Amino acid sequence: MSQVLSQAGKRSLRLRHPVAGTLAVAGYVVMIVPILFVVATSFTAGSTLRFPPDGFSLRWFAEAAAYTPFVEALVSSLQLAVLATGLALLLGVPVTLAIHRGRIPGKELLEGLFLSPLVVPELVVGLALYQQLMIGLGLNNFSTLLLGHTALLLPYAVRVTGASLALADPALEEAARGLGASPLRAFVTVTLPMLRPGLISAGLLGFVTSFNNVPLSLLLQTRDFRTLPVTMLDYVQQSYDPMVAAASTIVLAATVVVAVVAERTVGFAKIFGGINR
Amino acid sequence: MRARSTSLLLLPGLAFLLVGFLLPAAAMLFAPPGVTFLQVLERMGAMLTDPYDLGIMWRTVRIGLVVTALCVVLGFPIASLLARSQSRWAGVLLALAIFPLLLSNVVRTFGWLVILGSNGVIGQILTGLGVVDDAPQLLYTEVAIVLGLVQLFLPLAIITCYSAVAQVDPGLDEAARGLGASRTRAFWTVLVPLSLPGIVVAATLVFAGSVTAYTTPYLLGGSSQRMLSTQLFSYASVTVDWAAASATAIVMTVLVFLVSGLSSLVGRKGATS
Repeated sequence: MSQVLSQAGKRSLRLRHPVAGTLAVAGYVVMIVPILFVVATSFTAGSTLRFPPDGFSLRWFAEAAAYTPFVEALVSSLQLAVLATGLALLLGVPVTLAIHRGRIPGKELLEGLFLSPLVVPELVVGLALYQQLMIGLGLNNFSTLLLGHTALLLPYAVRVTGASLALADPALEEAARGLGASPLRAFVTVTLPMLRPGLISAGLLGFVTSFNNVPLSLLLQTRDFRTLPVTMLDYVQQSYDPMVAAASTIVLAATVVVAVVAERTVGFAKIFGGINR
Repeated sequence: MRARSTSLLLLPGLAFLLVGFLLPAAAMLFAPPGVTFLQVLERMGAMLTDPYDLGIMWRTVRIGLVVTALCVVLGFPIASLLARSQSRWAGVLLALAIFPLLLSNVVRTFGWLVILGSNGVIGQILTGLGVVDDAPQLLYTEVAIVLGLVQLFLPLAIITCYSAVAQVDPGLDEAARGLGASRTRAFWTVLVPLSLPGIVVAATLVFAGSVTAYTTPYLLGGSSQRMLSTQLFSYASVTVDWAAASATAIVMTVLVFLVSGLSSLVGRKGATS
């Protein structure tokens, strides 16, 4: 890695400095190496979570795939992530349109309001929904989770699709309307195609955020409907076997697939890093 | 677009935000069930004088500060390296730095159990080399939490600094070098000051994330190294002490707001001077 980094720095003027290089290598080690240990231990034939693994086998993958709580939680998490993402886009895109195309006062305030779920700590939001909606109003935990996740994803839906819309020329929509298209037709045939990259980005970002969420979902778990990350977290507290490493490796593999899909559609760094390279 | 159709577009989203976020949050913070706001304030006052609770707050802030410093010190060099490099490896390394952001925090944090656990890699190495007889306690320490949080938030620091460095005209550092400044000097006198607003944003995001994170202190800190987040969970779910839960939630939220406000103040001052 250090060779790669120093090669990468060769044509840059400023960071061939040994201190900077060392710091950079240390940073990558901290970010990546723990993940590699999880993968390595998941292939063990032994029954403890340790490195180096005792032999090689796929037994813990078989056990994880057959462990009902994990499988049920995976299905629940996928359902929740898909529904919350869809709902956030359905609610968020009209808001984006109103903010960017409408003639209303206080647009900045309005946008700030829709970004506010990002500012309050998620654990605090989770506590509020648990106490007020689940206990107070007797709402079931799936509805509460869906409400919470959708509120959490709304900022992404509004801001990311807004970035796409800001690049689109309103004159095009006006031209369509002038040529006799109804507002709905102008939206579907002109605005929606321009929003496509924003919709894909917000969709992927929302799905990943909802699927991985712990702090907001933590207090909103019941036996009937549990999410995967929280189920895995609880499992580690009870037993220290490699099954959870196997489950982690499966999640890692699925995440790589999501990253590849993101790269092929809009560009990985653009969606998840907000970087226009 | 007419005002009426604009409000029709806004209404569903606003109603949702109100029901799914704003109203429950306000009710929980200021009027938890069976408790008056005065009692929440009293509870907060008791916390602010109790050595145990103060210890948790101080630990939270201390860990937040250390993690923030480490993330900036490790993240900025990586960001400048990647933003300035012409090498084709830069793209790969940038992707490698962003990828962890997509990956579950739970999965990312598990690795430290293998590394720091009682039978962990570091313990085995130390005992194997004969440095110590018994593996030292590494898991359930503040060091473990700091390592876990740096792993979690370094990608965020890198991409935020990356955007900042990418906006600095490379001609400026070249001009400094042309005028005789050493690489190190050009780095400190040109690149760092010009990227400072981005560094401040990165530091704020990392700090806010660290002091509110739950998974890492739960897995790597255990019950001996409580932070505000794990304490909040225990008030809400184990002891069901609504006054204490709301008081902790207010402390946590105020901490995040304070730091965000301070940073945007610094950012604005930096922009005008």
